[in-house]
Amino acid sequence: MTPQSPAISLYCRIYSILLYAYPREFRLQCGAGMRQVFRDRCREVARTANRLAMFTFALHLVADWLTTAVREGAAAIWSAGRKQSPRSVVTEWAVTIAIYLFATTTLVQAYVIPTPSMESTVLVGDHMLVDRVTFSEPGAAARAILPYREPAHGDMLVFLYPDDVRQTYIKRVIGLPGDRIHLERQQVVRNGVRLIEPYTQHIAAYPDPYRDNFPLSPEGSISARGHDMLEHHVVNGEVVVPPGMIFVMGDNRNNSLDSRYWGFVPRSYVVGKPLLVYWSYDAPTADLQEWNVNHVLDVALHFFSRTRWDRTFRVPR
Amino acid sequence: MKKPEELLPLTQPVFHILLALADEERHGYGIMQDVATQTNDALQLGPGTLYGCLKRMLAAGLVEESDERPDPTLDDERRRYYRMTPLGRRVVRAEAQRLAGAVLAARSKLAGGNI
Repeated sequence: MTPQSPAISLYCRIYSILLYAYPREFRLQCGAGMRQVFRDRCREVARTANRLAMFTFALHLVADWLTTAVREGAAAIWSAGRKQSPRSVVTEWAVTIAIYLFATTTLVQAYVIPTPSMESTVLVGDHMLVDRVTFSEPGAAARAILPYREPAHGDMLVFLYPDDVRQTYIKRVIGLPGDRIHLERQQVVRNGVRLIEPYTQHIAAYPDPYRDNFPLSPEGSISARGHDMLEHHVVNGEVVVPPGMIFVMGDNRNNSLDSRYWGFVPRSYVVGKPLLVYWSYDAPTADLQEWNVNHVLDVALHFFSRTRWDRTFRVPR
Repeated sequence: MKKPEELLPLTQPVFHILLALADEERHGYGIMQDVATQTNDALQLGPGTLYGCLKRMLAAGLVEESDERPDPTLDDERRRYYRMTPLGRRVVRAEAQRLAGAVLAARSKLAGGNI
């Protein structure tokens, strides 16, 4: 990241949005200065090109924002008794709360990985933040200010599981609309070219000709959507990805239920792109899927020993 | 005229911001950098903390706004500079004395320690 990079101007725009969490009066008085200070500090941190410094800066900044926005909001209410009408106080707090909700649900969201289908790229128990902006389907105005792009080959993708939208899955993008996909002895062939995929792991499992030579000899736990794909979208022994759909696979190829088994991911089911692992805790799948007392006790007792410190603040790729 | 003692004790950010302005006028980012240097990076002021303090310090008359001008060591954008008022100088002196008194008391109680 160079000091003048587009990333920095993007962060500055996001910060300008975050400034709306402050009361109007404070924003008008100090907003310009805060933006300048923010940008100067961003440049300084970018020059160090140190990932840890960047994350420390980001965390520190969020903490500063959360505490001072509340503090200034409270100060505004305190002085409101004298000069402001109660109505404008309500408005200011409504805006503050709306911006908090916007930031925590629209920009990023936290997820935990419960299954090993993406090992060794992401592990069971990785708690990650997902960037919901990059792959969102933008309106014309929003497209101009935020860094949208379409998912590309090899991107990791967080999406709603098409067979049960209450679940969120993470896989890797293998096929985009128009791509022809098949597997030959565990190797993906896309549009006639064998893919080199350094991110995959092949751990010897039970033999499964369908898994390894997809879409030949369908068998195993193929869902209705999977059968639909095999029926309508196979041409000459290859799956052809239809418009508006994405073909995804797990990195843990021999142990992943993915598009081979349940079909394509509709573009509109895409949630986002993994941003960062903020905490990685070694726990069994069941504990991560449903809340239970034992898990809370386990975390309380083994927080330091079972946290995978080397994975904390990693950017999954 | 307010008495400096009425404003004591200062919060840590306010104390260090005043110290940063003791020798020269600075803009927001300059204050932030100087505070980091004073404290060996232990106190990194965020933009919200910095400007929240500045706003209150302006209201209390500890600092005042100087002009807006570019900083030759950064880019050519104009930045608002801040300077310390005579009241601010008296207050930061009084706070430093108060802290010195506290350290003295600690020394006498913790004899043999390294403080």
